[in-house]
Amino acid sequence: MTVLQEELKRPESATAVAWAVRTGRLAAVTLIESLLERIKALNPRLNAFTRVLADRALREARAIDTMVAQGRDPGPLAGVPFGVKDNYDVAGLVTTAGSIVNGDRPPAVEDAVLVRRLGRAGAILVGTQNMDEFAYGFTTENAHYGATHNPLDPVRTAGGSSGGSAASVAAGLCSFALGTDTNGSIRVPSSFCGLFGLKPTFGRLPRTGTFPFVHDLDHLGPFAREVADLSLVYDLVQGHDPGDLACADIAPEPTQGTLGKPLPGPAALLGGWFDDLADPQGREAAALVAKALGATARVTLPGAVKARAAAFVLTCASGGNLHFEALRDRAGDFDPATRDRLLAGTLIPANAVLQAQRQRALFHQEVLAAFRRHALLIAPATPCSAPLLGQPTIRVAGEDLPTRPNIGLLTQPLSFVGLPVVTVPVRNGTMPIGVQLIAPPWREDLALRAAARLERDGVARGPGEFV
Amino acid sequence: MTDKSEAALGPEQVEILGRLAGIAIHPDHLPGVVRNLGVVLGQAALLFDPPLDPLIEPATVFRP
Repeated sequence: MTVLQEELKRPESATAVAWAVRTGRLAAVTLIESLLERIKALNPRLNAFTRVLADRALREARAIDTMVAQGRDPGPLAGVPFGVKDNYDVAGLVTTAGSIVNGDRPPAVEDAVLVRRLGRAGAILVGTQNMDEFAYGFTTENAHYGATHNPLDPVRTAGGSSGGSAASVAAGLCSFALGTDTNGSIRVPSSFCGLFGLKPTFGRLPRTGTFPFVHDLDHLGPFAREVADLSLVYDLVQGHDPGDLACADIAPEPTQGTLGKPLPGPAALLGGWFDDLADPQGREAAALVAKALGATARVTLPGAVKARAAAFVLTCASGGNLHFEALRDRAGDFDPATRDRLLAGTLIPANAVLQAQRQRALFHQEVLAAFRRHALLIAPATPCSAPLLGQPTIRVAGEDLPTRPNIGLLTQPLSFVGLPVVTVPVRNGTMPIGVQLIAPPWREDLALRAAARLERDGVARGPGEFV
Repeated sequence: MTDKSEAALGPEQVEILGRLAGIAIHPDHLPGVVRNLGVVLGQAALLFDPPLDPLIEPATVFRP
């Protein structure tokens, strides 16, 4: 066990923290002061936070304590500290999205919608967190802001692109965090850091006040150490917002009261692409989850290979389009690892982009057909557990492939069609690995139910018992 | 695996493509762009084999 691991004592869950603050057993100011000390001690080695908002956090903590003293309701997340990826707007700060290219943008005038909703629930924002530049990566090795280190083994990547958020939660530097997931950027860091992560259905959560990457693939979602926390946070940030045109105008569908319910139908293990490209640990983890959920059937999605290719093409083209002016005028300011891919994205033939969109329509039909027979699908989240920082290749299906673009092989086909996915941590190796619980559109509740059952049964475990 | 199927484009061709797109790619950046464009075109090639029915509807469809 490393010195860092020795220091990673198990923090209380968000639910427990809120209860203690709401009942006056714990002052929010005391909690936040203690947490700021912890961040000060550990963050230099993890590089998870890019900006620590001590003044704001203490101000909000004092307000919470005042409400408690006055007998007013401070909210269901009273005093609970959280962080956000650097592509969320925070009032008064420039939204860097992990890049100095955004440095001359004006500071945000208000918090992102999800941050505001959490603030109304009593949660306290303690800082912004490191990411791959413009969310284009899976390792959070950022040329401008440095690499984020995995708290479970600091020589390894925390995953990306929401690596700072995942590392913060895994290290107990905040109770939960918000990330974004375009091709796997919540699910990959969840897998590598041993956390529960939720990527909801496309269109479920409003992205208002976040910096985009690929408009038609971008999702927001939380990381947490326990399923109850994940569910609570998710419930509190649901709801339509007209600022995001892709956000569905549907009422919130709370999940907290459903966590103990059984699945309404059988689960199935995904084979083919999702089995072939997983390593033995990932395959075993998925099998353990399948067994615990009583999933005996195996389903293949033959379109997955093309769905991944199409997601790859659309992402590159969309990123190139989004950053076209900056690439034309100041390409030298980009992180080289991002720059060359985005420049390539500006050169992709329209024919390929349109073909990718057609592939999406086909794969959409294919996965919907699978959900007519199964309530939930199961697949490994990553082809391997956390690689070393700077590791050039990973071994996939007997081949050495470049690390950065291939960590998302198993996540990309699923976000491409906007499915809700909860990643659960399975600890069947030296490092944990994530398993994806994939639900039909709008049925986040089913993935959360399954995650809760796996947690209860000890098949999936957050970081508490690991350190 | 798909990363093998890189399209054979040289720096000169990529530089010309850049100019057509309205971007002057710095010579120092060209090798990385050539490599990455090769990878993404390799992925794109998968989407054309076999060709898709051109009548597949890619548009957003509203159903009452």
